[in-house]
Amino acid sequence: MIASTIADSRWLDMAKLPELVGSVVVIAIVFLATMNRSIQSAKLRKINGLEAIEDAVGRATEMARPVLFTPGWGGDIQRPTTIASMNILTKVASLSAQYDCTLLYPTHDPVIMTVAQEVVREAYTDSGYPDRYRADNINYVSSSQFGYAAAVDGIISRQKPASIFLLGTFEAESLILAETGNTVGAIQIAGTDSTIQLAFFIVACDYTLIGEELFAASGYLSGNPSIVASVKAQDILKVVIAVILVAATIWATTARILDIETVQWWKF
Amino acid sequence: MFLQYFSPHPLARAVNRGMLDYWQILSAIALVVGVVGVARTNLMGLIAGKDRINRLTVLAGVMAMPILAWLWGTTAGSPFVWMFEYVQMPMQATVFALLAFFVASASFRGFRARNAQATVLLVSATIILMSRLSFGEGFLSQFQWIGDWMRDNPSMAARRAILIGIGLGSLTTSLRVLLGVERTWLGGSK
Amino acid sequence: MTDLRIRRWIFLGLAVIVVLTMLVPVTTKVTVSPYTQRMYDYIDSLPAHSVVMVSFDHDASSQPEIRPLSLCLLRHAFSRGLKMAGVSFQSEGTVIGYRMIEQTAKEFGREYGVDYVYLGFRPQLQAAILQLGESIRGLYAQDYFGTPLDSIPMLVGIDSLAQIAVVLSIADANNTTHWMEYGKARFNVPIIAGVTASMVTSYDPYLSSGQLSAMVGGLRGAAEYERLLNRHGAGQRGMLAQSATHLYLIALILTGNFIFLRARRGKK
Repeated sequence: MIASTIADSRWLDMAKLPELVGSVVVIAIVFLATMNRSIQSAKLRKINGLEAIEDAVGRATEMARPVLFTPGWGGDIQRPTTIASMNILTKVASLSAQYDCTLLYPTHDPVIMTVAQEVVREAYTDSGYPDRYRADNINYVSSSQFGYAAAVDGIISRQKPASIFLLGTFEAESLILAETGNTVGAIQIAGTDSTIQLAFFIVACDYTLIGEELFAASGYLSGNPSIVASVKAQDILKVVIAVILVAATIWATTARILDIETVQWWKF
Repeated sequence: MFLQYFSPHPLARAVNRGMLDYWQILSAIALVVGVVGVARTNLMGLIAGKDRINRLTVLAGVMAMPILAWLWGTTAGSPFVWMFEYVQMPMQATVFALLAFFVASASFRGFRARNAQATVLLVSATIILMSRLSFGEGFLSQFQWIGDWMRDNPSMAARRAILIGIGLGSLTTSLRVLLGVERTWLGGSK
Repeated sequence: MTDLRIRRWIFLGLAVIVVLTMLVPVTTKVTVSPYTQRMYDYIDSLPAHSVVMVSFDHDASSQPEIRPLSLCLLRHAFSRGLKMAGVSFQSEGTVIGYRMIEQTAKEFGREYGVDYVYLGFRPQLQAAILQLGESIRGLYAQDYFGTPLDSIPMLVGIDSLAQIAVVLSIADANNTTHWMEYGKARFNVPIIAGVTASMVTSYDPYLSSGQLSAMVGGLRGAAEYERLLNRHGAGQRGMLAQSATHLYLIALILTGNFIFLRARRGKK
């Protein structure tokens, strides 16, 4: 095959038009739902893992042991899961500041470390205790997966946190961290976007945020109407997807039974 | 970046290439930030007298590999490659292998028939484990068929549903960040 | 018996079983699964002299599991006369990948620059894939040894993913997902994957929908592939230990439930 040297001067690739239309429709649904007042005042159902955050930090305070929060090895700062975990970190940091409980935050990514330092510093300042903030407790350990896992395991084994938050993108190190946390008797709240590691967390942790519960944390914890509305917009989109799935299944099955050639409109 | 995905125009592609170059440069610089951070934290801890042995080990590791690479290069047979193959690789593989032990202890503790759902989980796990045995054909091959069916049907359906939910969650989180509704990650929550 | 003591006995039992079965020189017969057969048939169907981009997206920790699988796939590809362009977006995978591609190339008498080339490491996988789709030379001006790409015979006329027949992602984490999201979705290059066993089920939906053309996973996948290639290797040697471990886990599950149900009956 020979590389084409003729530049394609079209402004829009028509083959991608269905994707563009679909994207615009989805963005419009989210945007309009976010602006809608009745949706803004909607209530989110109870999420046990998020309800347990205050109890977990309180437990650590009573036992005079630290809280450990780690975002996993699998993601970097641009990943939505990492951003979602930062929202929960704000809440945990705020409680740690109020209760004067040590918060440990080991991470595998220096950019995440920098962002986390800012998030925690702001949370401590907003809570009225800027002097309790310790930048050294938020540190970069290793970019290597099992270097990171070994480092966090070592921190858990030596410092024996009473509460562990495993929130972010995890890969194979998830069960290693969760079981080590179990060994020291910590209460563990976990959430990840990896379907494989969710299974490990469900077995090993006390509370697990499944699927989009992690992304709902921001609205759930802050109560910000716009964010709550965007969480509700997810539900609207899920209904739309479910309707398309059912319609496509009925259409395809009927065409197959009646042996008819038909446009497969669900494929684009 | 979102709009240029739909456009093959040379201007859109030039913008795309430029952004990608900057992204890579920033990623490379971030690695330096990380190494400096590790060295600084452990040096400060060493001076303060906390966990001296652990911190010395970390600093020795951080310094040893670049020094070896600088002095003797990174070609096959060099001390750098020797350290990588005979020290780093076995250590990392060992930590990965710990997963097997933790799976064993988690299985003993976690798969209990507490209620109906837990019993279904326990039976499914046992069937899947049986389906992965490799003691030949015959009786055990039936388990492989059942295991493959479970993987292709109920497990796949649940996984797809969770993936759709995660996809939607990622979408709305990204939109919130782009529209400035979500600012917590910038350190400003209000 | 305390939880910690029970855990130690469990760990000891597992260690004894694995060590003993690894010492026994018995090879168990594996049945080739449809997934492995699909990968084999896919590579078999590629025309000779097609350029395959092999992305070594893993680090040193997964070597014991990934290496037998990688060697099988590379051997099959070289035996079919395919040309291999090796890349790596994880720093540890760089040296490992080069050694594997060099080793298998030598087995088949393949010449560097004509039958295979190694381009080396670049950071930030997503950006790298997007750049490869536009221009390989935009990302790699030189190969791993500093030779300009224009003077490598194999890469004449090859400058983007459009000229690549398939991308083989050898991964131990979610890097294959990025290949599908950016490589397949945007540039329509077929993706096949060799992954660790723990990642196999997370890629099943993509395999089912066709976003992933073929996939083989873990030591079991390597053993099945070795059977298809009529070679005896580390995959097949490890099957007895793996199967014995599975039986041990089943025994642990049953024992745990026996203890649990007896205790519950005792309370009643």
